[in-house]
Amino acid sequence: MEAQLESLRSEALLAIAACTDEAQVEQLRVRYLGRGGELTALTDRMKEVPKEDKPKIGKLLNETRSAVTEALDTRRVAAVAAQESRAFEGIDVTLPGVGYPVGALHPITQLMDRATSIFRRMGFALADGPDIETEWHCFDALNTPADHPARNEQDTFYMPDGRLLRTHTSSIQIRTLERVAPPVRIIAPGAAYRRDEVDATHLAQFNQMEGLYVDEDVTLADLRGTLEFFFRELFGNDAKFRFRPHFFPFTEPSFEVDIQTAALGGGRWLEIAGCGMVDPAVFEAINVRRGEKVLDPERHSGFAFGFGLDRLAMIMAGVPDIRLFTDSDQRFLSQF
Amino acid sequence: MKVSLNWLRELVDFQQDANALSALLTNAGVEVEGVETRGVSIDKVVVAQILSSEQHPNADRLSVCKVEDGSGEPRQIVCGAKNYKVGDKVPLAQAGAVMPGDFKIKVGKLRGVESQGMMCSAKELGLSADADGLLILDPGSTIGTPLKDLYHGDTVLDLEITPNRADLLSHEGIAREVAALTGRVSKLTQVFTPETASGEPVAVETSACSFYSARALENVQVGPSPEWLKSRLESLGLRSINNVVDVTNWVMLESGHPLHAFDADKLQGALRVRFAKEGESLHALDGKTYQLGTGDVVIADESGPVAIAGVMGGEATGVTEVTKRVVLESAAFESSVIRRTSRGLGLSSDSSYRFERGVDVAGVLRASQRASTLLTEVASAQAGALSIGSGSDSVDTGALLQGLTPVSHVPLRLERVTALLGAPVPEARINQILSALGLSQDGAGWDVPSFRGDLTREIDLIEEIARVVGIEHFPPTTRARFSPSSDTDRRYDRLMKLRRAAVGQGLFEARSLTLVSEAMAQSPFVKGAVLRVKNPLNEDQVVLRPSLVPGLLVAAGKNARGGVKAIRLFETGRVFFAEGTEERTHVALVVSGPAWTPSWRCASAPEVDLFDLKGILSAVVGREVQFAPAPATGTLGIEVNVLVDGKVIGVAGQLRPSVAKEMDVQGSLLAAEVSLEGILGTAEGAALYKELPRFPAVTRDIAFVAPKELPHQRILEVLGAANEALLTGVELFDVFTDATGEKVGIGQKSVAYSLTYRSSERTLTADEVTAVHNNLKQRIISELGVVTRE
Repeated sequence: MEAQLESLRSEALLAIAACTDEAQVEQLRVRYLGRGGELTALTDRMKEVPKEDKPKIGKLLNETRSAVTEALDTRRVAAVAAQESRAFEGIDVTLPGVGYPVGALHPITQLMDRATSIFRRMGFALADGPDIETEWHCFDALNTPADHPARNEQDTFYMPDGRLLRTHTSSIQIRTLERVAPPVRIIAPGAAYRRDEVDATHLAQFNQMEGLYVDEDVTLADLRGTLEFFFRELFGNDAKFRFRPHFFPFTEPSFEVDIQTAALGGGRWLEIAGCGMVDPAVFEAINVRRGEKVLDPERHSGFAFGFGLDRLAMIMAGVPDIRLFTDSDQRFLSQF
Repeated sequence: MKVSLNWLRELVDFQQDANALSALLTNAGVEVEGVETRGVSIDKVVVAQILSSEQHPNADRLSVCKVEDGSGEPRQIVCGAKNYKVGDKVPLAQAGAVMPGDFKIKVGKLRGVESQGMMCSAKELGLSADADGLLILDPGSTIGTPLKDLYHGDTVLDLEITPNRADLLSHEGIAREVAALTGRVSKLTQVFTPETASGEPVAVETSACSFYSARALENVQVGPSPEWLKSRLESLGLRSINNVVDVTNWVMLESGHPLHAFDADKLQGALRVRFAKEGESLHALDGKTYQLGTGDVVIADESGPVAIAGVMGGEATGVTEVTKRVVLESAAFESSVIRRTSRGLGLSSDSSYRFERGVDVAGVLRASQRASTLLTEVASAQAGALSIGSGSDSVDTGALLQGLTPVSHVPLRLERVTALLGAPVPEARINQILSALGLSQDGAGWDVPSFRGDLTREIDLIEEIARVVGIEHFPPTTRARFSPSSDTDRRYDRLMKLRRAAVGQGLFEARSLTLVSEAMAQSPFVKGAVLRVKNPLNEDQVVLRPSLVPGLLVAAGKNARGGVKAIRLFETGRVFFAEGTEERTHVALVVSGPAWTPSWRCASAPEVDLFDLKGILSAVVGREVQFAPAPATGTLGIEVNVLVDGKVIGVAGQLRPSVAKEMDVQGSLLAAEVSLEGILGTAEGAALYKELPRFPAVTRDIAFVAPKELPHQRILEVLGAANEALLTGVELFDVFTDATGEKVGIGQKSVAYSLTYRSSERTLTADEVTAVHNNLKQRIISELGVVTRE
């Protein structure tokens, strides 16, 4: 019995070591440890063993069983691993990836959203107004003289009822101030329209970002700080600025902002925004409309600014023709 | 507005060169758009006469000339030009001259022959863009004269004057500005002499002319202008006409006051200022005839209009070489009237440009005196009587004759300066700035002269201070304030989320134009009366789009022509309606081409169909979106309504293949458009946690043959109506039809569903599930009359 066990053990371990796949391991498991297996058969013969030999043979039997079991388990793991490796062998990993569909936000939406998130970080909320505006919101309330050239039918789209397509998003300043009281701290991205002939740098419709801050102690220094911070966040800390005095009917003093930054082509000064301190005449127009003195030019002050998103997006990405933005060509849109 | 630097230097003594001055002006709000040099300012370029010309021994195209340049010794010059003859006088750049582009002239050899300088073309001297050979000078020119004495060098700045600064439309005005910026003092050329109105008063019948003056000038000798007058006008882009007209232009450029000279002998009777009468017209100095309206102000004599006030004079009464007596007009017209006339007639002039922006009434007579003085000098004129008139009660003509400048008082508080600008400006600096700009301190404020009509309020003075001090004086401050989010914020966030969901489905965002053609306003999806602009620029931009889909369909065709196979576009934006809510936000999508990108692993892909579109819409609009069949109309072959909370908010469908083909799209072309009004406006509730299942689910399949037209929706309804609590999922996993009728009868389909059962309280037993499943199966059989397949 002892000898039989010894020989079975060495025979089994040899056979197990020779296995190359999982199925062979399983065959051996059945052959030795299965219900009718060889080791099982020897176990059944324990009752024939003389009583005094039983502890010794029993121990040997257990040792044999665990040795075979362990060898089978080890061999199975190794055989599975080898089998799996063979399955991976020979795969050409340089084959191209298989396309999953990827879309993209429009470059102007991307810029608008970046700009919006920067302003929100600075405490601005969003505001809005209609594209079809009254002349009062677009011009009168913004201190624009009745015979100002911008009101001309040559430059502005009018509706048959006398309203117009807003020529700037500044009308949203008025839409906001006629509704709420200071402090007002808003930005408004939106479309504006000018009756321009279409060419590589002009569309009859463009996208602007408007900003307005009215409170009790707003200064020109705040305007400068706000715009410089914003454009540095957008373009990087290398940005340098020039605030050139300018004229807009609805701000005083008014400035045009020029920027110089590597992100916008480096060397040259680029005009990127118009801004200024809200003209008291705008406050006055709001007060008249609301029938109460909500805005006191002695107490309240504010700044406003606006810039075009299309032109910035063009310069940032080196887009040569503004019409590419409205052409909906996927070969263009997939570049952003 | 073009400004001569030479002229400016005569009016104010400043050190800055053209570039430094440009920077100063630009930073003070007077943007310099261009700097050009005029004439010749190069040293060592002189008048030389060509004495001989011979063929160059080594070069066919060159000649060797001997020229006399006043140095006594003839010089040898190699020359490539052909347009001269011996005896001509030409410019010679001698050794040492530095030509434009930093090109130094040296004595050297050209193809082996010594050349002691260079004979120049007009282009080489920077006089013109034209390079056709040598500049042939006047035979009367004296040999050896420096060219810069013949062609006076000057630098001309092109300034952009903002509409509020009418006072800067003159050299004197710019000089005043430069004085304020450089701390110098500017001077006026003409000192005003008080005078009396000795002539017959001019009848002014409209308040649009606040002051009119007509000065008689006798014994005028009309002729060419002297060189100084002519060259300066020409360097500023004006054509020299004759000495009289040139003087009026000179005074306009100097003082900003437009003047007009009439030939007194061609005027019939007294002048009057009035509105034009119905049917009147004027043949103007530009040779064109203008039909005048009753809103146009004219200067008229007894025969009718002789000038369009402030815009242009008539040809018949203009000054010519035979003119002997002149009536010199200097006046102030209302800007809005001149602007309307100029625009109405489509006629603008240097005069109308200035009147449109506003001319100071207090300077009218000084300009007239200045022109009179100059005409005495250059046309031997003798000043005669002065006639005046005014259409406005508020004008004190007596004060004007005395040369008094009316002022208005504007208060200024130092604390407001600081409060608005954010940093104090020293009082002494403020005083210096405002004084230099021509204002005078008066108590707690400042007296503003009438030429600065734009300064009427405290804020206007603060702007002047900020402008001259410069933004650098006010260090940037950053202060954050809290702002509650607005409804617009919430709409924006939901719209961005929706856009990103669309991008996540592989779609590209389009942003097309709002103004579209009539054809593009025809949408298969959106009906309703449209809005049109009254004054479209062209027929492509007439209608405010009521729908986004037409634009995307056109884009689909464009993409297809461009070789794009998988067309995946979406757009969100405003659409417009004549009825109901005028401006609404929609989202639209257009898809075409293979459902996924074919690759080496799977070389073919099915075409997208309605079910791709439904899947994308569910992902974009939200899981709550539902669909209901709708009758297909027009260009659509198949159509479904898109619903949220039982309300139809949009349409999706597939275009008929013939329609797609017309748009150059081969294969399926699908589109959808959904109104976001109900969706963006509502607050998005926070998602609520549902307990994850703790007990295992059991799935049982059910397969049956049903009439082909039995909709999936109906089967769901029958299962739903059973209200079976244990049924937690229904999944359609097979639809099969057989055109041959062998496996499934013609007109029939075989469908298979997998039903999932689960209890949240216990593990279900097989018997329990079987009972429920059989019950549901029975319902389907009895209610739908189908035959189950086992």
